[in-house]
Amino acid sequence: MRSEGKLLREAIIVHYYLGVDIGSVSSNFVLMDQYGNIREKVYLRTLGNPVKAIKEGFAQIKSRQGEQLDIRGVGTTGSGRHLADVLLGADVVKNEITAHAVAASALFPGVRTIIEIGGQDSKIIILKNGIVQDFAMNTVCAAGTGSFLDQQAARLNIAIEDFGDYAVRSRQGIRIAGRCGVFAESDMIHKQQMGYPAEDIIMGLCEALVRNYLNNVAKGKKIEEPIVFQGGVAANAGIKKAFEKVLNSQVQVPEPYEVMGAIGSAMLAQEQRAQSQAPGNYRGDDFILEGEFKSSSHECKGCPNLCEVVCIKRNQEILAYWGDRCKKWENSINRQDKLQVI
Amino acid sequence: MKRVGIPHSLFYYYYYPLWKTFFSDLGANVISSSESNRLTLDQGIKLAVDETCLPIKVYFGHVQELCQQHLDYIFIPRLVSVEPKSYICPKFMGVPDMIRAALDNLPPLIDITIDVSKSDRSLKRDIMRVGSLFTNDDNQIKRAYTHACQENRFCRLLAREGYTMAEAISLWEGEQVNNPASGDLNIGVLGHGYSLYDPYISMNLVERLRKMGCNVFLPEALDIGCIEREAATIPKRVFWTLGRKMVGSALYMDKRADIDGIIYLACFGCGPDSLIGEIIENKVKNKSFMMLTIDEHSGEGGLVTRLEAFCDMLRRRRMRGEGNLPAYG
Repeated sequence: MRSEGKLLREAIIVHYYLGVDIGSVSSNFVLMDQYGNIREKVYLRTLGNPVKAIKEGFAQIKSRQGEQLDIRGVGTTGSGRHLADVLLGADVVKNEITAHAVAASALFPGVRTIIEIGGQDSKIIILKNGIVQDFAMNTVCAAGTGSFLDQQAARLNIAIEDFGDYAVRSRQGIRIAGRCGVFAESDMIHKQQMGYPAEDIIMGLCEALVRNYLNNVAKGKKIEEPIVFQGGVAANAGIKKAFEKVLNSQVQVPEPYEVMGAIGSAMLAQEQRAQSQAPGNYRGDDFILEGEFKSSSHECKGCPNLCEVVCIKRNQEILAYWGDRCKKWENSINRQDKLQVI
Repeated sequence: MKRVGIPHSLFYYYYYPLWKTFFSDLGANVISSSESNRLTLDQGIKLAVDETCLPIKVYFGHVQELCQQHLDYIFIPRLVSVEPKSYICPKFMGVPDMIRAALDNLPPLIDITIDVSKSDRSLKRDIMRVGSLFTNDDNQIKRAYTHACQENRFCRLLAREGYTMAEAISLWEGEQVNNPASGDLNIGVLGHGYSLYDPYISMNLVERLRKMGCNVFLPEALDIGCIEREAATIPKRVFWTLGRKMVGSALYMDKRADIDGIIYLACFGCGPDSLIGEIIENKVKNKSFMMLTIDEHSGEGGLVTRLEAFCDMLRRRRMRGEGNLPAYG
């Protein structure tokens, strides 16, 4: 029966929704069909060049599918969501909180707590009946997020993918100060020079990060089951284990943990398209694949704020400006007489 | 005509109309520095002690700007207390001294001590002393001060209409200010006025929220009696003037059925905020609450993401027809 339904489904012409999550460390892409099935997922390192990452991610999806894709809607999220919007033409440009919450409650109906740890930020989202009731993000400090783990893995010469396995092998984590990334690092070096095994130090680091997360980000929030742990750091089994130990409850990691933001934005795009009669904003495959995208920046001398204005160009055409506090450059985009850097 | 400079920072947002009227009535020409911008911030960071908070650093930048304007005096009051039994953050007490130590091309400072914690006798004496720099007529000084207080009250009345203090001051000066736009969400916004109303420091928080379709409720627009009554419910009296106002405002907003959520803008490294923010976070039970921390970073992305997520949360919750949490616990 099941395969028959599947065959039937494939016989009907499908259309797709593209979800894009451009984060500080990774860029994620998801191609979802109209039934909510994830057809493709791509996880790339942003490597400091989001424009290139967006182009490459899209090209990968396209080459794997190998056919003309009928993309009806695009949703973008992550700190690079506006950039992705300019390059792809998005129907929904949403913050990460909403995107993650939408994806998690679709995959785990009834989820109460979402722990999300990404490259530069960490969040906690509290839901009730599928609706966000409360959330918090880390404040000014990025200690205890993915980039710090990355950096420590590089220092210990361990591939970040194996970091979690090392931690899980440990029998007893060493106490590491987790309050601040700099202190944690010197503490780790100190323990390492005293001769503690790397496994135990890494497990200690995982526990420290979890402590830091619970004391800072999740401070004062009631963490109730079911708990879902997602974001790039969810790949680290050591962190998951540490969370389970401290919270004394089960923590679930979704299979597509690293692309949950992208899934959420694809769902939001579908939701938006269903409500709207207007044609979608998607700029088309050729726009992204054929164009030569360039970004440049200049210091605007219009006032003492000296804003660093970013300009995104496709071939010779100016697509977007941002970074100006007064929006003088940004607003000129829709006018005939676009401001130009001389 | 003597030229007096007033930095466009810190208690400018609460008392500028008062001091401007006072000095103008005594025949002085009042010059204020320009609105905070990147230059003021850069200069301020260079000059100020590293451990102070961002608004104090920015203040240094403003004074530095005034130093280049050939002034006879710069007005830098030593604020200790502006109401009985309550105090301003201790950093403000040291501002004139910190400024003297950091800048060497300073014109003479008018560093009147404002301390009415026990009585206003010394303040009155100091007002006369400051006035005598400009005139020998004691009655003129008294008249000027009475007039100045009236003007300040008038400016506060403008702020009760939903304008920020910065907008109220612009209105008071006769400039055109747009009516605060109205939207579908009612958000209470709290924070020290000198960070919240300085568009550069707060990254335009209030205006951003209005653009996202929010009605912004500020403490200045609330009934002061209600604020004090709510603040008195805290077991130990909060003796910081602004801190108490914020605790009271937060608790009052928490009870009001028409407010959807509360945002608190804190400054990284602010002593009072570290306690007050915590108290508010614990005491606000019925509304969604979000604390934002700002510092020197100029990237606005983090702030925008949090504001968007906050508004999204409130709207999506309403879309589901769940409405708010019960307004009275």
